[in-house]
Amino acid sequence: MSQIEADLLVIGGGATGAGVAWDASLRGYRTILVDRSDLADGTSGRFHGLLHSGGRYVVKDPRAATECIKENLILRQVAAATIEDTGGLFVSTPADDLSYGDQFLQGCSDAGVPVEEIATDEALRREPRVNPGIRRAFAVPDGSIDAWKLLSALASGITEHGGRVLTYHTVTALHRDGDAVTGATVRNTRTDEEIEVTAAFTINAAGAWAGQIAAMAGIEGVTIVPGRGIMIAMNHRLVNTVVNRCTMPADGDIIVPIRTVSVIGTTDVEADDPDDLTIAQDEVDQMLDAGEQLVPGFRNARALRAWAGVRPLFRDARAQGSDRDISRAHTLLDHRERDGVGRFVTITSGKLTTFRLMAQDTVDAMGAQLGDPRPCRTREQPLPGSERGEYYTLGTRLRARESDGSDPLVCECEMIPRARLEAAMVDQGTVNLDDIRRALRLGMGPCQGGFCTYRATGILHEVGHLDGATADAALLGFLQERWKGTWPILHGDQLRQSRLDDWIYQGVLDVEHLPDWTAT
Amino acid sequence: MKPDVIVVGGGMSGLAAGVGLAEAGASVLVLAKGAGSLQLAPGTIDLLGYAGERVASPLSAITALAERDPGHPYALLGADVVGDAARWLSSRVADGPLAPYRYVGSLQDNMLLPTAVGVPRPSALVPETMAAGDLRQGGRMVVVGFRGMKDFHPALIADNLLRATGGAMEVRATQIDPPPALDGEPGTLRLARALGRPGVAEALATRLAAVGRDDEVLALPAVLSIGDPHGVWETLQRVAGRPVCEIPTLPPSVPGLRLFDTLRTLLRRAGGRLVTGSYVVGAKGSGDHMNALRVHVSGGERIYATRWVVLATGGVASGGLTLDADWRMRETALGLDVAGVPAPRQARFSPRYLDDHPLGRAGIAADRELRPLDARGRRRWENVLVVGAALGGAEPWREKSGEGIALASGHRAAQLILVAERSASETAATKVAQPIA
Repeated sequence: MSQIEADLLVIGGGATGAGVAWDASLRGYRTILVDRSDLADGTSGRFHGLLHSGGRYVVKDPRAATECIKENLILRQVAAATIEDTGGLFVSTPADDLSYGDQFLQGCSDAGVPVEEIATDEALRREPRVNPGIRRAFAVPDGSIDAWKLLSALASGITEHGGRVLTYHTVTALHRDGDAVTGATVRNTRTDEEIEVTAAFTINAAGAWAGQIAAMAGIEGVTIVPGRGIMIAMNHRLVNTVVNRCTMPADGDIIVPIRTVSVIGTTDVEADDPDDLTIAQDEVDQMLDAGEQLVPGFRNARALRAWAGVRPLFRDARAQGSDRDISRAHTLLDHRERDGVGRFVTITSGKLTTFRLMAQDTVDAMGAQLGDPRPCRTREQPLPGSERGEYYTLGTRLRARESDGSDPLVCECEMIPRARLEAAMVDQGTVNLDDIRRALRLGMGPCQGGFCTYRATGILHEVGHLDGATADAALLGFLQERWKGTWPILHGDQLRQSRLDDWIYQGVLDVEHLPDWTAT
Repeated sequence: MKPDVIVVGGGMSGLAAGVGLAEAGASVLVLAKGAGSLQLAPGTIDLLGYAGERVASPLSAITALAERDPGHPYALLGADVVGDAARWLSSRVADGPLAPYRYVGSLQDNMLLPTAVGVPRPSALVPETMAAGDLRQGGRMVVVGFRGMKDFHPALIADNLLRATGGAMEVRATQIDPPPALDGEPGTLRLARALGRPGVAEALATRLAAVGRDDEVLALPAVLSIGDPHGVWETLQRVAGRPVCEIPTLPPSVPGLRLFDTLRTLLRRAGGRLVTGSYVVGAKGSGDHMNALRVHVSGGERIYATRWVVLATGGVASGGLTLDADWRMRETALGLDVAGVPAPRQARFSPRYLDDHPLGRAGIAADRELRPLDARGRRRWENVLVVGAALGGAEPWREKSGEGIALASGHRAAQLILVAERSASETAATKVAQPIA
């Protein structure tokens, strides 16, 4: 068993945990970040991609709205390359209460969210597909943010500042010395190798799984209620601006244009298990119908795939009247004060837009407990790739393609050239095409891996020097991963596309009869 | 001109019906939306590759399948029709524009050909250019790829074939430079077109002669030209001094294009017409007869009157069947009822990709004379016949039965129409003759 010593162990490689590790690394703490899977494989990679202006919360939760707009403006500076400056609209559809618009304007003014009411003609000129019956429209500085790009930039930043990122490492035990947490045993889920991590401080940023981690430290009552929501990606940018319904927050009230698709979200169903990512038929229908309200024809437009994510909503079993205490603002639990367990805090709930603030508060709390306060630097220090402060634009990949068009494309949908794919494979050292997908968007376009799954498997086999069985597992695993998100929404042209893929993979290639493969 | 028969669809089933009818003297119009589905298929004639277990003897297995599963298209057709149709196709290809390029194999004995991922895949009849890849022979094989070709990965193929044959074969992989003057990356079609040009096959053959050992079969991606596969294949074998075989690639499929070109040429030779870029937008009928089709052709809509309609529009992959956003399935050309569709609240798919899916066998239900049945199981049209992947009851991409079902049903539809026309004209002749008698 190998050993690692660090100032800080962060458990959970979502935006919150990676944000904490980035913040701590910048403050000079030697930091280890572990995740049981890939970065952003949990909630962070399973949201709609909205960079909140705060508009969504100005009436219901003004404090959250203020946090959002402040963080929105900071991220536009320090994480610009992960953000597309789409702008946002709040529109009153014929089904919505017009008077909410006045509350909304007042709320924006109180919370400091820049807003401008624009004529509905102007809104429809900007977004011609939006319901022509809208009666009011407001422009706000919403944007879209690519969680995988963000997490990848955070990981680079952590590494550049002396930290380590261990993906596919699951915590099997937390260690305590008297009333303090002193580290953890983590197991590499690919090799089963165990590592002993000794850390002066441990931060639990495991999101919807934070209760399970807290329990490992012998702490009871950290109850995280998984709030499951589904999202559906459509194969076009039906809108180029974030379009919100101007109502109290509700299901299916937002369409976010991100990269080459647009995403509608979301629902909210209390789940028993954070790993339960079921997509129910009635939720799919509900989303498609809600989309129809904002963009007529939405229901019959081409849906690419659906997915579910779980919001970690904290319910403190130690507080009274627990249900009303569920909060969407973030929760920082200092376990020394709460449970008498030192050198251990839990950070949970919150929103991706406010991850930086959550990290700052958490590392501040650590500094206070250690008696070693150091100033936060994440407000000023740009993430790797964002030094020039330039936003991501939709044309970025096309521009790269046009300036270097000689390298063959492996994934035509997402314009991924072969050299780029090979570099990512070498860089990640992975045997899993889904990791490559998160890095490069492999297989995320309209054909959902129809052609690139085979090509990428062949290239991975060659570049990664894999044996046949490992390569086959990569191919079959990726087909299954793609299927997981497509089957709940398959209809129309996307079903047709999927059946073409069946003919290719089952008909022409006969992957069902790859040697040694057994149904699991 | 009023055609006797309009065939809707330009894939295997439609062209088999169209060629069979035209060669028997019928006036045939084939309407095709695009280039047909043959370019998507490997170009082999797969009758039945899997029925649970891997099938060794397709015609016998089809007989057993027809008895076991009365809803399967093969139960409507029977093994004799499948055999007749397969023999018919072999004879037509041998008389076609690419002759002496031909299909070889046996209806009683599936070959096992390597796929582009290295799986031994059962096929009954295969292009002569693929036959040396039959893995039942054992021996040695070297899989040869072209550097930079993204749709063919020889090392992966070789690794999997080695394991699949369990040591019975020695398989290895190598890469060579693609032929010069490709004018772009080595894609399937670009390679096939290059190999059709004078001198290119000879240059490649010289390069191949230096690859590997004397007792190795040379396995190449299926790019040995679209227009002269026999000539290119023979040149390679002669110069390299060893058997050469093609392995089918991802679409577009060169052997599929050859078959499409062959059938299209045979149709035209026999006086049939093929109108591409056209699709049916409506039908007119009275009672149980469909009298005319409203067809979108370039520039507008036309009404075609006809005596017979053969629906060969394919399944979901070809757009012949579609599932709408309210989870209802439609047949897109004639509005026929679709059978085997789960109700909107029922599961349509299984969570695991390679499992059986409830929607997988949805399609048109037909009787033994290929007339479509409505939702109550009654014959809807007397002069409409349904063929190919539009027929429900099968998952051909899993069974490896796609060409068999398409070819046999298309061939059978032609026979049924010819018999009906003959008896109609005999009846008419009898009526005329009666007064004299």
